[in-house]
Amino acid sequence: MSNVESVTQAEAPAADPAAAGAGGSEKPRSLAGDAWNDLKRNWIFWAASVLVVLVVMMAAFPGLFTSADPEYCSLSRQHAGPSGGAIFGYNFQGCDVYARTIYGARNSVLIGLFATIISGAIGLIIGMAAGYFGGWVDALLARGIDIVLGIPTLLAAIVLARRLSDSEDSGFWPVVITLGVLTWTTGARIMRSSVISAKSQDYVAAARMLGAGHARLMFRHILPNAAAPFVVVLTLLLGANIATEATLTFLGVGLRGNAISWGIDISTAAPYVREAAAPLVWPSVFLAATVLAFIMLGDAIRDAFDPRLR
Amino acid sequence: MLDSQRTWEMFRYFVRRVLQGVLTFFGATFIVYALMFANQTDPLQTLAGERPLPENVRQALTERYHLDDPFIVQYGHYMRGLLTGDFGISLTNRSIKEMMEQAWPVTVRLALLAIVIAVLISVTSGIISGIRRGGPFDTVTLIITLILLALPIVVLAPLAQLFFGVQLKWFPATAGADPGVYQLLLPAAVLATLVMATEIRVTRASVAENLRSDYVRTARAKGLSKRRVIGVHVLRNSLIPVITLIGLDLGNLMAGAIVTEGVFNIPGVGFNLFRGIRTEDGPLVVGFVSILVIVFIVVNLVVDLLYAVLDPRIRYE
Amino acid sequence: MRGHFPLKMAVGATAIMLLAAGCSGGGDDAGDEAFVVSIGIGEPQHLIPSNTTESNGAEVLAALYTPLVDFDANNNPVLVAAESIESPDNKVWTIKLKDGYTFHNGEKVTADNYINAWNHAAYGPNGMGGSYFFARIQGYDELNPKDPDGEDGPQKPPTPPTNKLSGLAKVDDLTFTVTLKEPFSGWRSVMGYTVFYPLPNAAWASDGVLKEDFEQAPIGNGPFKIKGKWEHDSKIEVEKYDAYPGEKPKIDGVLYKIYQDQQAQYADLSSGALDIVTQIPIENLASAPTDLGDRFKTSPNSVFQFVGFPTFLEQYSKVEVRKAISMAINRKEITDSIFRGSQTPATSFVSPAVAGYRENSCGEACTYDPAKAKAMYEAAGGPKQIKITYNVDGGHKAWVDATCNQLKTNLGVDCVGVGEPKFADLLTKVEKKEDVGLIRMGWLMDYPLMENYLGPLYGTGGSSNYYGYSNPEFDNLVKQGSAAKTPEEAIKIWQQAEDILARDMPVIPLRHGQNVFGHSERVKNVEVDKYTKVELLKLEPAS
Repeated sequence: MSNVESVTQAEAPAADPAAAGAGGSEKPRSLAGDAWNDLKRNWIFWAASVLVVLVVMMAAFPGLFTSADPEYCSLSRQHAGPSGGAIFGYNFQGCDVYARTIYGARNSVLIGLFATIISGAIGLIIGMAAGYFGGWVDALLARGIDIVLGIPTLLAAIVLARRLSDSEDSGFWPVVITLGVLTWTTGARIMRSSVISAKSQDYVAAARMLGAGHARLMFRHILPNAAAPFVVVLTLLLGANIATEATLTFLGVGLRGNAISWGIDISTAAPYVREAAAPLVWPSVFLAATVLAFIMLGDAIRDAFDPRLR
Repeated sequence: MLDSQRTWEMFRYFVRRVLQGVLTFFGATFIVYALMFANQTDPLQTLAGERPLPENVRQALTERYHLDDPFIVQYGHYMRGLLTGDFGISLTNRSIKEMMEQAWPVTVRLALLAIVIAVLISVTSGIISGIRRGGPFDTVTLIITLILLALPIVVLAPLAQLFFGVQLKWFPATAGADPGVYQLLLPAAVLATLVMATEIRVTRASVAENLRSDYVRTARAKGLSKRRVIGVHVLRNSLIPVITLIGLDLGNLMAGAIVTEGVFNIPGVGFNLFRGIRTEDGPLVVGFVSILVIVFIVVNLVVDLLYAVLDPRIRYE
Repeated sequence: MRGHFPLKMAVGATAIMLLAAGCSGGGDDAGDEAFVVSIGIGEPQHLIPSNTTESNGAEVLAALYTPLVDFDANNNPVLVAAESIESPDNKVWTIKLKDGYTFHNGEKVTADNYINAWNHAAYGPNGMGGSYFFARIQGYDELNPKDPDGEDGPQKPPTPPTNKLSGLAKVDDLTFTVTLKEPFSGWRSVMGYTVFYPLPNAAWASDGVLKEDFEQAPIGNGPFKIKGKWEHDSKIEVEKYDAYPGEKPKIDGVLYKIYQDQQAQYADLSSGALDIVTQIPIENLASAPTDLGDRFKTSPNSVFQFVGFPTFLEQYSKVEVRKAISMAINRKEITDSIFRGSQTPATSFVSPAVAGYRENSCGEACTYDPAKAKAMYEAAGGPKQIKITYNVDGGHKAWVDATCNQLKTNLGVDCVGVGEPKFADLLTKVEKKEDVGLIRMGWLMDYPLMENYLGPLYGTGGSSNYYGYSNPEFDNLVKQGSAAKTPEEAIKIWQQAEDILARDMPVIPLRHGQNVFGHSERVKNVEVDKYTKVELLKLEPAS
């Protein structure tokens, strides 16, 4: 950490007794080590981690959670109540809602994750470069952002997904790439504005005067201070991506064939909510819980890494 | 810094941004035109639906809409018309200018109302939950945010219509072609939920961030009251990311408007865009998008200028 | 969950509020003000009769125009604007018009109004969507010369030498003759379709050229005249035309409210903001009988839903495979559970809306028998995977998925429903001979004759025969039927043709459509005909 920040740290009131205690010890510390010390004591972090692990397990090994076949459906059980293994009852097509919710995790979570990773990476690089370098780089990149923003997402998504997919595959990667390529603008804009405001802080100027290079300035000094709103946007984007997949699939350019996902099940069940609420409620609950877990995890990690917190 | 120097800086910045805006405009319309062109399979068959299209009809229509010209020629034709204020004729044989005159005012009303609702709710609750992080209000807000996030707008809009329009009758079930503020309240609120989740979370995060910052400590140390510190300093600094979001939200609002306008029967921009995309109506889509791009450019320019008002440290380079 | 309990309360409350709304609505109309009924429609594509082949435009034009013939409950043509329609040989038809009909601008309706309108409709370069209806008339080919080097070639088709059909001739002011290329006993019925309406002299800018803005405010010869203009995406209003000589409507006008979404129509109907919805979306069917009570109604229409086997797909070339798939589908379960009784199982190749329809002409092949189906399928070596391709913009996913689930269970095969964004995308794939599997199809008749199903759907090169079925014996019988002396004879021959279909199984008949409609308490005698149009002349105020 730079001198400027040590000064800040020294002045900081003990916001968190645990962190202050850790700071009092004599052994050499790294940012990551500090963060881990912090996280270990944070119950929100553990709760969120357990949820995330659970959802990832569901996505990887759905067979662990249910032995029912999510594709075995019969109209004779349409909207039937819970029975046997089908603890959530049956949906409009007479499929087991519980089994479908479990099996839906794979497509939903993976699409959400991969798409968010792609758009996060693009948004980070472009937003950071635009905000940090300013001048013509900013002008050029900001125009790029504006152009992408000006194109209606739905139009671009329909065209892209159509170009990318051929009818034989499941449509998974086309959806991921389409979402990733089209949703980075929010992150980039937020990153850019945070970097602009972080850049003008005194400690950055001080670090620059002390001879820090571009990379060091960007990633060691500015990024940790500018990342907060960006991380928040990403965790929300994860949820939004899971929901957008449903819209794409509904328009015939998303997942193909018999693919199962939460988004598909939520949209399919919605019109019949007056008849049977369970097929709508359960996938929504799983979706909300997953998004919640990622948001909490994001919040906890961000807080732990934020140097001003200790 | 001298005031006159700053004004001059801002003016130069403004002029440069306007010039860049022109480039953005051409870039975006070109890409959209290319996308529409790439997307085209057979717009004439789409017009005819499931009925076969007789060869003579196809010939006549192809000629009328220059469909057999190469892409770049079509784009050239189109831009020349656009720059002289002629938006052309849609594939359904209607003046696109007339369609826009009908669609834009109602969508602008809807979007403004949605932004007002979203900002009022999210800034208020974002600040409260940012100050009292982990408190009951924060938790409740988080849960509501999550519910809104987990329900796609294709689900939310019909549900809102069913409960508040058809059953409780608090609002009219549909808004129609020339709605007033009251008719638009329900669709605008539905639309606002699209952007509210992000706005609440971002406000909350930056309030919490600012509360920990040096200047707040300094201000507190100087003996300023907590109310004044939050009301003047924290609020002002926390608004920067939120204002950025409002500029960006226009895109989300347009996507959401496609669904909302359909459910509440509002023949606005979102509806026309969706119809244009579905029927591969190039002139219609590009016409609407051109105006949309101009709106984006202007709004984002205003947003960038607003930064200056809120944060004097930002320089115009 | 939050929503559960209030939901039930809200449903109960709705019933009470609907009652209350109905009462107050009735009270408002006690005065002398005009009684206008609002009907929900989608945005029409066109309002020029010869360019109107979709149901929204046809619905509005039916108020503004009077056809030559209409149809009774048994689908027999009834003369309306025509005094008589006679032909000694089914080739030359003499049409005599009733005296006293006028257009809404006061012009007298004469034979010229029909001849001019039909010439314009048939003239190729005008690009009218309904021009193919005139293809049976002599001289049509001269008006529609072929492109010398095919559609994609650089050469433009030659300009037709004339813009008049040689088969149309004026006898006197109220009489004209139509000469067909070949005798056709059903021609009287064909002329009942929307595209055969007359146009007033005021419609023409010059000879054969329609005024640019005519369709914004069409002038017709019907019981209603347009009030103001077509307000796109918003509404079209019509009011009673006082000088109408035919049967007078019992209402003062109709407000066609334009909707983008059928569920929005239903929301307005349930909240009392709309009087008639002609097609209640299936999502609302479960609650509609409770919401509307006895104002929820059904009537038969001519929609026929089926899936076709593209002939270029080897795996379906055996007739046993096609029959086995058909027998493994439980049509009744799908119409009951998915469509909530709004459609009925189809066991024949034409709709019950036409004379000559026989129930179960498809026989055993359309009877649900999973055990026999499986044995037959395995014996014939049917494919391990079945695909059903459909267009996602038509709300077909639910029944395609259900059908697939039945096939999976009953035949022990894998089955996928493949959604294409639009019907045009589906056609593109069929044209490229890709493996689309079974393709989803639907047909709404233009005129009530068996031929209107047999020709376009199953005839060699038929306009909607996208799967490429071709059987010369069948084609021959359809042609013979068309040339028959009387409609009765025609039906006999057409039924023989239908029997060939039952043998060859080129398609699987699935469902016949019904109008499922609802109305407010302001109106009574609401009926919807086989073309999905509201019968305006029967509508009455409720009190």
